[in-house]
Amino acid sequence: MAAKTTTMIETHDLSKAFRIAKRRPGLFGGMRSIVDPEMRTVSAVRDLNILVERGEMIGLIGPNGAGKSTTIKMLTGVLVPSSGKVTVAGFDPHRQRRALASHIGVVFGQKTQLWWDLPLIDSLLLLRHLYHVPAERHAENLAHMRAMLDLDEFIHTPVRQLSLGQRMRGDLAAALLHDPELLYLDEPTIGLDVVAKARIREFLLEINRTRGVTVLLTTHDMDDVEALCPRMMIVDHGRKLFDGPVTGIRERFGGERTLIAQIDPADLATLPRGGENQPIIEGLPAGVRQVPAESPQVALAFTRDALPAHELVAWLGARIRLRDVTFEEPDIEDMIRHIYEDGLLLKEEEEAVSVG
Amino acid sequence: MITGITGIISDLSLYRRLIGMQLRTQVQYKVNLAVDIFTYFLVTMLEYMVIFLYFNTFQTLLGWHVGEVALLGAVVSFTFGLAELFGSGLDSFSEIIRRGEFDRILLRPVGALMQVASNEFRMRRLGRMTQGLLMFLFALHLLPALHWTFAKLLMLVFGIASGATIFVAVLLLGATLCFWTVETTELANILTYGGREVMSWPLSVYNRAFQSIFLFVVPLAFGLYMPVCYLLGRPQPLGLPDAAAFLSPLAAALFAAVAYVFWRFGVRRYQSAGG
Repeated sequence: MAAKTTTMIETHDLSKAFRIAKRRPGLFGGMRSIVDPEMRTVSAVRDLNILVERGEMIGLIGPNGAGKSTTIKMLTGVLVPSSGKVTVAGFDPHRQRRALASHIGVVFGQKTQLWWDLPLIDSLLLLRHLYHVPAERHAENLAHMRAMLDLDEFIHTPVRQLSLGQRMRGDLAAALLHDPELLYLDEPTIGLDVVAKARIREFLLEINRTRGVTVLLTTHDMDDVEALCPRMMIVDHGRKLFDGPVTGIRERFGGERTLIAQIDPADLATLPRGGENQPIIEGLPAGVRQVPAESPQVALAFTRDALPAHELVAWLGARIRLRDVTFEEPDIEDMIRHIYEDGLLLKEEEEAVSVG
Repeated sequence: MITGITGIISDLSLYRRLIGMQLRTQVQYKVNLAVDIFTYFLVTMLEYMVIFLYFNTFQTLLGWHVGEVALLGAVVSFTFGLAELFGSGLDSFSEIIRRGEFDRILLRPVGALMQVASNEFRMRRLGRMTQGLLMFLFALHLLPALHWTFAKLLMLVFGIASGATIFVAVLLLGATLCFWTVETTELANILTYGGREVMSWPLSVYNRAFQSIFLFVVPLAFGLYMPVCYLLGRPQPLGLPDAAAFLSPLAAALFAAVAYVFWRFGVRRYQSAGG
């Protein structure tokens, strides 16, 4: 048994490079590639340093191919790192993969670990034997999961007949029956409707609070991160771009939010028109600019430091009658683009290096 | 030592439970399953009939009589059915790789090979085993003079166990290839289906090099054919002594060990290349 420390995950310059055979074009090229493959090296993860404390909930975000799943695979011992050090729950994941497996739970949003053709309960009962969970402990956990996730309404239904949200609840229960200290979630809310998403998030907060389970979440959905994680990491091209608190992240890198206002038709007619017959709002406050939108809507992009959202609504409402307003948040791809364009983090890194 | 033994016992009980999950899935479709088993029985029976077609024209085959070849074919059929049944998880391993499910297997605290092996259990293979069993009884009827001893009974058990082990090990080799490419799964079929076909006839019909391959490289003949020769009282291939047939479990164990080492190598390669 590994000594209990306050650190759950620690990596030091963790890197993974894959050697990939290049295919030569044409039939003879294809045959030559089999005998004499031309290899090129692709760097999936580069010098990643991660420190996660016990009990944290942390979001790992980044676009497709950023190195998120490679990282998770190295943290679970499924993949061997090319270089660097990694410790998870006191274990060396690759060398002690099976020992570590009893201490972690993994949920893939797109792949179930449940037995597809059998009732959910069959899978949940079998997992006790796969993880060697003592009978009483398993019974206790199962009862708890049934209550928390309302599994009883579909626990005797074959998994293939469950809705995506129900299946995800089943998978969460399956991943937690052996009391893992650490839970990896890969896109846990993908494809779910708003109600199902909210329910999953609520559950995750609950198990983090009551059981102290450390949660590492990879997602495309910035809302997941904001609802669950005080801290997040952004990775792209195998490198860490950002590691810090989630609050303020959108203000910092999110660029502009967009206010979309439905204008009362009567007032819309009174507005002056610009190019492509777009209605124009004149005399906008500093930091606010108008962006193209479908009539009868008007879209205003604004930075958070320009003015608070409600003041912009009030400012606009004082000039024209509004039917409805909504806000659009910048998405992750926008944020990453923004980080690159402004070279924001590279500057910070340089500063850190010069200080250190 | 004690923990090793309890480990094996708990692995076996887990294997039984995992197979149980597969059985429960299949018995959901009872009619389907029954038709499957029966069809497989008929197909394998047709394959087997070739023996009688041959002996319809000829009296003997290199000194072997119809009953002897029929018994050999029946034992091979039963053994192969047994291997197909217990090796179905290995046989469908390319699916696991293709669907990216091997990661999940590595994420569990129990052995990967056990999980792969218990991932499927194709009950229709019972059709072939039934065919083998029935034809074994029929062959005994054709061989009224066959005198059974304890050593011969033991040899029958050795032959079936060693043969099945080697067939399963061939399936394991085929599964292991999937770590490099899933396009070559037919390669293992050459050795399984081909091996079964080759084993069903007196080995002396093939040339010496071919016999040596099946005796010492992929030792199907050593594990399965030699014990059957022993119980039929036929001379062993390549002039080997009759008692050599007692070494058949050893040949099977060695071959299985080589296949297992190759498998471990494949898993390591998967873990560094990511599949």
